Amino acid sequence: MAAPINTYELTYIVNAVLSDQQIKEVVARVTRNIQENGGEIIEVDEWGTRRLAYPIRKKRNGYYVNVYFRAPGEAIARLERLLEIDDDILRYLTLRYDAKMLRYYEQSKDASRPIRKPVPIEVPPVRTVDDDEDEDLDEELA
Amino acid sequence: MAIEPQEAPRVDTSEIQYVDYKDIELLKRYINEQGKLLPRRITGVSAKFQRQLTTAVKRARHLALLPFVADNVR
Repeated sequence: MAAPINTYELTYIVNAVLSDQQIKEVVARVTRNIQENGGEIIEVDEWGTRRLAYPIRKKRNGYYVNVYFRAPGEAIARLERLLEIDDDILRYLTLRYDAKMLRYYEQSKDASRPIRKPVPIEVPPVRTVDDDEDEDLDEELA
Repeated sequence: MAIEPQEAPRVDTSEIQYVDYKDIELLKRYINEQGKLLPRRITGVSAKFQRQLTTAVKRARHLALLPFVADNVR
């Protein structure tokens, strides 16, 4: 009865204010945690420092890291405990990959990348009263 | 508030299998300037796509890739 091994994607945000060395240590800590708990790293993609859409813990920038890995189910709890406790990790999101997501991931690595969808030309609904109606009223009142 | 047939936007989303929360270029087209998700009657996407879109946007917001509220035009 082997523990089921799943594929996961983890994205986390490291405090951008840290020195390069410190950031590297954080990333290493996370990677090590995964491996020590029976995980196998598939890919580590560091996006670097990005502007946050809203301030987190007063900071406006964060260092994003993206990790893809395979691991037994129990490893996730331990991993997330580390992510939760570590003060330098501001946010994290762990996803378990299903077949569809895996296919998507494989495809993104291949040259045959899915094409972007054309833009829906619609303007957001900031609907106000039609101007025509106003004009009619004005004429009536005049 | 019915939408006239001709207003149904011609966007083909049938090829997309998975809406990636990291693909904010794609996601940005389906939110308005306030950062809110656009309704299906405006974007004309399928119910399935809208559901995937919604979870993707919410994940992106959690990771601060998209805002929860955006009103900067004030």
